[in-house]
Formats: sequence, C-alpha cells, structure tokens
Amino acid sequence: MTSPHDRLGISPDAAPAEVKTAYHAKLREFPAHTHPEEFKAVRAAYDAIRKGETAKDDDFLNVRPLEVTLDPDSLKQLREKALAQIDISLDELIRETF
Amino acid sequence: MTRAVGIDLGTTNSEVAIVENGQARVLPGEDGDLILPSCVGFSETGKLLVGREALRQYEAAPERTVKSIKRWMGTDHKTLLGDREYLPHEISAIILRSLKQRAETALAESIAQAVITVPAYFTDAQRQATKTAGEIAGFEVLQIINEPTAAAIAYDLRSEETERVLVYDLGGGTFDVSVVEITGEVTEVLASHGNNRLGGDDFDRRLQLHLKELFRKQHGMDVPDDPVTNARLLRTAEQAKIDLSTHAFTTVREAFLGSKGKTALHLEAEIARTDFENLIHPLLDETLEAIDRALSDATLQPDDLDRIILVGGSTRIPLIQHMIESHLGQAPTDGIQPDLCVALGASLQAGVLVGEAVDAILVDVVPHSLGIAAAMSTPMGIVPGFFSVVVPRNSVIPVSRSEVYSTLFDSQETVEIEVFQGENPIAEENVPLGSFKVEDLPSQPAGSVQVEVHFDFDLNGILTVTATEKGKGQQGSLIVSNTGVHRLSSHEISQARADLEALFEQDEAIESSASDSPIVTLSPELSVLVDRARTLADSLDDEQADELQDLLDQIEAVAEGNSDEDLEVLQSELEDFLYYASREN
Repeated sequence: MTSPHDRLGISPDAAPAEVKTAYHAKLREFPAHTHPEEFKAVRAAYDAIRKGETAKDDDFLNVRPLEVTLDPDSLKQLREKALAQIDISLDELIRETF
Repeated sequence: MTRAVGIDLGTTNSEVAIVENGQARVLPGEDGDLILPSCVGFSETGKLLVGREALRQYEAAPERTVKSIKRWMGTDHKTLLGDREYLPHEISAIILRSLKQRAETALAESIAQAVITVPAYFTDAQRQATKTAGEIAGFEVLQIINEPTAAAIAYDLRSEETERVLVYDLGGGTFDVSVVEITGEVTEVLASHGNNRLGGDDFDRRLQLHLKELFRKQHGMDVPDDPVTNARLLRTAEQAKIDLSTHAFTTVREAFLGSKGKTALHLEAEIARTDFENLIHPLLDETLEAIDRALSDATLQPDDLDRIILVGGSTRIPLIQHMIESHLGQAPTDGIQPDLCVALGASLQAGVLVGEAVDAILVDVVPHSLGIAAAMSTPMGIVPGFFSVVVPRNSVIPVSRSEVYSTLFDSQETVEIEVFQGENPIAEENVPLGSFKVEDLPSQPAGSVQVEVHFDFDLNGILTVTATEKGKGQQGSLIVSNTGVHRLSSHEISQARADLEALFEQDEAIESSASDSPIVTLSPELSVLVDRARTLADSLDDEQADELQDLLDQIEAVAEGNSDEDLEVLQSELEDFLYYASREN
C-alpha cells in the first residue's frame, strides 16, 4: 500500500511547505476533470498528511460514537410506538380532564 | 477546437463570457450591453421578450413578465406567462438560449458547450435544474461551478505566495461566502456557506413595504393590492435602493397609486439612506454569521485573511462594505468588477476544460454534508433516526468516502439506506435525496452483519451511493442525479429544446410581420397612463371627458401608424391633464 507521502512523492519528514508544493504539482498532473480517481487519491493523501500534523489534538478530542447501527424499520416502529404512546396519553388526558 | 463559453446565470442579471488568447472577456449583446437582465416576458402580440425589453414592460404587464426566476430553481413552482405555464428551469432555459444567441452573434460561430455558475450554497436539486436548463437551451453543460469560486479564478493574483481570500457574494437573490486559498494558478476553496434566499430582492421588498406604509400614513388608506401597483412600487423601491448607494437621500414620486372618491392619490416621500439601512440591517447580520461559520470551517481567524473580495450588485450598498470592514477589521479590495467577474471566471474554467491555454486549477468543495439515517448508541440506549455524515461539508470534490454500519436486530434481513443532505443531527430534518434497500442479508445476531456504505460524489454533483454486505456481497445502489424536480429523460429534454426553438423562431416571425406595418408600440409608462385615463374618464364632466377622449384618440392614431405626431408630447399632455383633472376632482 502506498503511503500518503509516497503518493505525493515526498519524504515522510517533509515540511508543510514542501507538502503543499508537491500537492500542487500533483494537481497539475492529475486535473479533477480528466483524472478523477488519481485526483481523489492525491487529495486523500494530502488530507491524511495534514491531519497527521494535528493528530495529537484530534485523538484526544475525537469522541466518535462507539457503535453506529442502522435500521430505519426499527426507527419507524419506535416512532409509531412513541406516537401511539402520545395518542394514548392524549386520550387519557382528555378522559381525566372531563 | 470548439470553443466553450462561461455563463453567470444570475437572479437579476446574466452574462456570457469567452476566453480568447488566454484572456477572458464578457460578450456584449447587439445593443452593446454586457449585461442581460434575467427577465422573460411576452409582448401584447405574443412576441417573446428577453432581457431589457422584458424588464421594460414588467411594470405595465407583470402578468406577462417574470423576473428573479432563479429563486425558484429546483422546485416545481409554475409561472403563468400568457397562455402557458412554465417551470423555473424552462424560464432559465429561455435566458440561457438568449445568451447562446448573443455569444454566437458576437463570435460569428456556433457555440455548443458551456460552464454555468450557481451559488455555492445551491442544493443538489437546484444544481440539477440549472444543468437541465442549459441542456434545454441547447448547450452541453461541461461543468456547473460555484459563483464565488468563479469570481476567485477571475481575480488575477499572479503571485506565488499563498493568499487567503474571503469572497463575499451578495446578488439579487442569493448570498454566498467562500474562503479561498490562492497559490499561483491553484485556487482552492477551503469552506463555503450561504443562504439561497437572501439578496437584493429582499431589500427591494422591505423598501416596498416601507413605501406602502408611508402611503398609508399620508392618505389614511392602503395602496391598492393589485399586480400592476405592486410591480410599480417594487420598481420604485429598487430605483430608490440604487440611488441610496450613492446619495444620502432620495425622493420617491409615484403618481396615481390609488384614489379616494374622485381624488387620485400620489406618493411623494423622501427616503434617507439611514431609513433603508435600518430596514436591511437584520438581514445583513445573517451574512456576518455566515462569514464566521465559513472562517471557522476553514479553521482561520479574520486576521489570517489577506484579502476580501466583494461580488454581486448588492455589495454596492455602502452599509455592507462598512459592516464587513468593522467585522473583519479589514477593508474589502477595490477594483473588482462585481457584475462581471463571475462570468469571466466561468469562461476561464470553460477554457481549461476544452484545452485552451489557461493556467487555472480549481479545487472546489461540497457545500452541504451528505449522509444516511442511522441508529446510534447513546447514553440512553440505541436511538434511531440520527444523521450519520459520510461526506462532511466542505470536502473537496470529486470525493469518495465509505462508512461501515452493522445490523440492529438478530436475523435482520434487510437494511434501508436513506440518503440525506444537510447539517441537522436528526436525519429527517435534512433534505432527503432518496433511499434504497439491501435485502437477503445472512441471518446472524444483531451487530454481526456489516454493511459498507460508499458515497461517490463527482465533479458534476452526481452522487452515487452503494451499500455492500461484507460477507455475502449483497449490494444495492442509488444514483442521485436529480431530486426535488422531476428528472427529465433525454427525450423530454430534446422535446423541450424543440419547443424552445419554436418559441424563438415564432418570435422572429412576429418580429418580421410587425415590421411590415409600421405599428408603434406604446411605452409601458404611456400604457399605464392610458389605462388610468380610461378609468378616470367616467368621473369627468362632459367637457373634460371630450378633451380626454380627443387626447386618447390622437395617441391611438399614432400607435396605429395613422399619424406622425410626437408621442412624447402627447404623453406629457396626458400627464398634465390627468394631474389637473385629479386635482380638481
């Protein structure tokens, strides 16, 4: 697997200015409208390197959800349940009021 | 090599530009005007009017004229013009077709390709509607690019030092702010924010309401609420707004706005710039908040900005310049052509795409976050309906991103992927882009079946979402290429294009038959006067009524080509007559 630095053709200890120059050179080589895949890879590498520069802060503050699960069916069920509850409580409320 | 144009399709005005020998220039119409008002209408005889001609009749015939259609792009709002209803992209197509004709006449060659700009904050549906309009107009739309970005490309820096530039774009109907980094020929957007329903039109409307209020105070009654009166007041408000950009005071005079018994009522008022500023201040505060969010998204402080560029006609309002300067501690850069730079930038990008020798590399971002509805584990248990962002706003495009999700129940057989666009943590509060299902998942305990959701967003703003079950490889996918509006098939587009061509040709036929008989059309001002005179006629005594009828007959004779008296003289006679008649009554 190519490292982000390899992708931009620079050494792992390149200074931020060098990273940017290399990134711009790659943009010239792979314009987004003619080389979308290469462009995306170049951009991903650039993002990764820049993120690395600030990774120390990020790791500490990065509160990602532990688990992300997906099921809109259950969403619907839960919503219906919740709505049903509201309905009932409304009925009860009316009953209790009168 | 075929050439491609760049088009700024604005709320109020539109322009078309081309690159020649590496230099961009805006192409003039036959009248030499670089600007085409984004206004479409039909004359009394059914002749199609586009631009200044249509705008001229707006006051007199608002029911046959439409402007600011851009505000409705991406919706199915219908506009009745003459005997037919038009969708927003159909009206826009008429404007684009007119710009195409303008370019072809100016360059004496046929033009088939274009880059069209949209506000950076336009949604997917609004972008697609714009692209469709371009296709109906007969263009191959090479790319839809963002207006502030186009302005930044046009802004020729020619410095290898990196400059950070804030582009503040306030037009007739939309507002955008973009933070851009320019290094040599590379223009990279760091963040964009905006409001698709904020612009000069809103200032006009506030001032129009203010004028109505003044009228009510002066006469103790409301201005009649009919389309013609509203259109007149809106034009008056717009003119007053423009005057107040260069003057501290302006006088508004509108005669015959209404009547009380037999007395005609006029509006005459002095508006101070400060009055106008008080009306629009709350709207401008919103734009400052947008600046702050764009800066924070770009992780920059106001001090980090090297330059502020103002784009769009509304930025001529002095208060805007002052507010930006005091908010950011820096005066905006002079010497930008706020009306033309977007079209110029679009033409440069068009040049790049067709291989002209243009040094411009554009790196743009997606303005809205893209993601799906998902259940998330929270301190209160698993809660469904959250918006799980896959492509965060301000990601560079084109972009591909994936996230892995897992099933919520034991033996869950299907997952439904609902795709949204927006920033609200509750999925349903965002703009729905579509949904699809992945079925026949392997029967396993909750959480052990993993589904990878892959988003692919290309340069043309087309989003493809693919979901793949990691074990067995079940797949489902969705191509979101048009939402909100009915997606036109290529057949429907060619049909619409043929209809549009017919409209333009029929227009030429009417024009040539009209030139056979020398019929003079009345100016909108005169038409309004004549209409008013007719309504007034009943309330006059016989002598006055005869005098009026005589005047009207003379005007009619000129209009029918049976008399060569000077219409302007007759018009001023009629004005005087109406003025005194209304006084006496």
